[in-house]
Amino acid sequence: MSSEELRPEEFAQAADAAIADALSREEPHEMAAVLAQAGLCGVMADEADGGLGLDLAFALPIAHAAGRLQLPLPLAEQILLARALAGTPRAAALVAGERLAGIAWQGSVQVGSARLDHGPADWLLVADGDGAVLVDVSDATHEPQATLDPDHPQMWVALAGAPVLARLDAQAWRALQGSARLLLAEFANGAAEGALQAAASYLATRVQFGRPLSAKQAVRHLLARMRLVQDVSSAAIRRAMHTDEFGAPRDTRPALTGAIANAAFVIEKAIHLHGGMGFTWELPLHPALRAVRKLDAAFSGLSRATGRDFIESV
Amino acid sequence: MNFEQQVIVPDPASGVEVYRQHARNWLRANLPDFMRADSLDWRAATLAESSAWEAAMHQAGLAGMTWPKAYGGHGLTLREHLAVNKEIGALPMPESVSSIGKELAGPIIMAVGDETQKQAFLPEILTMRQFWCQGFSEPDAGSDLARLRTKAVQEGEHWRINGQKIWTSGAAKAHYCLLLTRTGTVADKHRGLLMFAVPMDTPGIRVVPIKSIDGKESFAEVFFDDVIVPDSARLGAPDEGWNAAIRVLSIERATNRMYRPWRFECELRQLIAACKSDARLATTLDDGYVQRRVGDLIAEIDGLKGLVELTVERMQRGESIGARGSLTKLYWSECHQAFAGLALSLLSQVGPHSSPLARRAHQAFTNAYLFARAETIYAGTTEVQLDVIAQRVMNLPKDLT
Repeated sequence: MSSEELRPEEFAQAADAAIADALSREEPHEMAAVLAQAGLCGVMADEADGGLGLDLAFALPIAHAAGRLQLPLPLAEQILLARALAGTPRAAALVAGERLAGIAWQGSVQVGSARLDHGPADWLLVADGDGAVLVDVSDATHEPQATLDPDHPQMWVALAGAPVLARLDAQAWRALQGSARLLLAEFANGAAEGALQAAASYLATRVQFGRPLSAKQAVRHLLARMRLVQDVSSAAIRRAMHTDEFGAPRDTRPALTGAIANAAFVIEKAIHLHGGMGFTWELPLHPALRAVRKLDAAFSGLSRATGRDFIESV
Repeated sequence: MNFEQQVIVPDPASGVEVYRQHARNWLRANLPDFMRADSLDWRAATLAESSAWEAAMHQAGLAGMTWPKAYGGHGLTLREHLAVNKEIGALPMPESVSSIGKELAGPIIMAVGDETQKQAFLPEILTMRQFWCQGFSEPDAGSDLARLRTKAVQEGEHWRINGQKIWTSGAAKAHYCLLLTRTGTVADKHRGLLMFAVPMDTPGIRVVPIKSIDGKESFAEVFFDDVIVPDSARLGAPDEGWNAAIRVLSIERATNRMYRPWRFECELRQLIAACKSDARLATTLDDGYVQRRVGDLIAEIDGLKGLVELTVERMQRGESIGARGSLTKLYWSECHQAFAGLALSLLSQVGPHSSPLARRAHQAFTNAYLFARAETIYAGTTEVQLDVIAQRVMNLPKDLT
């Protein structure tokens, strides 16, 4: 299948339907099987590995839908690893959804442990010097860090003795990080969009003092600010997808740090605007906030690193 | 000042990157050192110097890009306009002294003026021989033009104008005022509004400068007492002209000063370079908080660049951009204002012991900080932009229907 036959926007609807279907299953691997069946896991993987061979632009609406619909799986990471491991049986297993793969953004082989913030995963890509290794962590010791998200806790994984399945060199690891930042930024942005839609439609129908709350200027202005930063994130992500004027890839870090900060703002305010209801477990805004705050934890220090590099470049 | 007189402007068919490279080369070769905000030789340019510079830019194909050739423009698209603006932004050069003419009066005249008016005004604006000021705001009518009071009464072949305008930038130097009046009464609200091109040397016009927060007298109150202008000064018919102007303004709001995110980045570089040039200030750049703020600023600047480029893409595809100009203006003004605050605080310890570049930056960014107060006020305040986004982008209901 070639990109000329399909447009990313058309892919978005299929992604929505498949993710909604997957969310009706309980077990992560059953969810993954549904997603794989719809072609989502292998959207970027080689056709020889069972994938669709499409480019990153097609994975973007999938990541967005995963964020908006609150899919508790590392789908963006699965998509990218299925591509990065092209030509190996590992890629085929990821395309088919037989295994779930995540990326540890904190920790390393050298440290001996790593944290999976956006899981669950059977296989985990962990930094190893300049490059990274994919390790099988299905039998490794997992120490859950459940304070932020008891339903889908962050996991500290002990790496000692975990079998190494594949290795990415420095260049491949760098490229993978660049793409992963954009998909995870879009995941956060999707989560923000879901929260904003929920808040806007609630406030347009919640009547107090004889009028919908959206008639109140304080409410309108806050919703407008939420919309503003969400549009900024989208624009920054789309810009970072393209090479710069000289054909070099753009730094994807600012798009991610911006999208995470903006999404946290939007979701926090969406919770606030729902009043008491926003504070309840029942209203599905807190899972979005937890998901985005886990990403924030995963990429802690990234904005500072971007700033330091910019300062050095002057 | 002498600029290259024989400039070969590239054929736009050779690609937007060629045009951008031309802009880059020409600007870097010709921008006088004293006009660079990061130069130790910096000084405020005189009006004549700024005019000469901007006229040379026009001659080099770097101003009036999208205006038709028949009116002195270069007949190019927004793509070249954006490419040039990226290069204008990349250099710390002064703001245009004719932005009202180029970004407001010109596009409105193009849309509602008759052929004689277009020929008389448009080429003169681009060649910097004619300056304009904007006579919209009044003491009782800022964002709410329904309360406009300045009145125009037709007397045969002439119009008699009485009223008062305020916050009129560049009124003292302007040759013409783009004046908004009403033909009826305030009860008519948005109906009966009529625009004129009024020569500023017409008897009965009085300009009273207003001193602003940055110590300059760049804007003024303008009084119109029995000012008589010929019917040929009228821009369009009552209502019709103003309605067309509103449409022009919404496009203009989204496309003017496209260089802002690139200039923002240029200013950030200037700030960091200044800190690096001074042993004491250099240590602040090792501070984690400062590094994080710089990282956040880069994210904001990238977002702004994305918004601007998206606007151009959409307009090139013929899509309506509606109220999207509000998003860019609002985001830029707030982020830039916050940046100016950071710059002021980072440079607060500069004194006689500091490096020359740090002292230059202290002067430049203190002024920038003060001037930045205006950024969330002019061209639609923050609150107006938020209203526009809520109403026109999000369609948030105000009642139960």
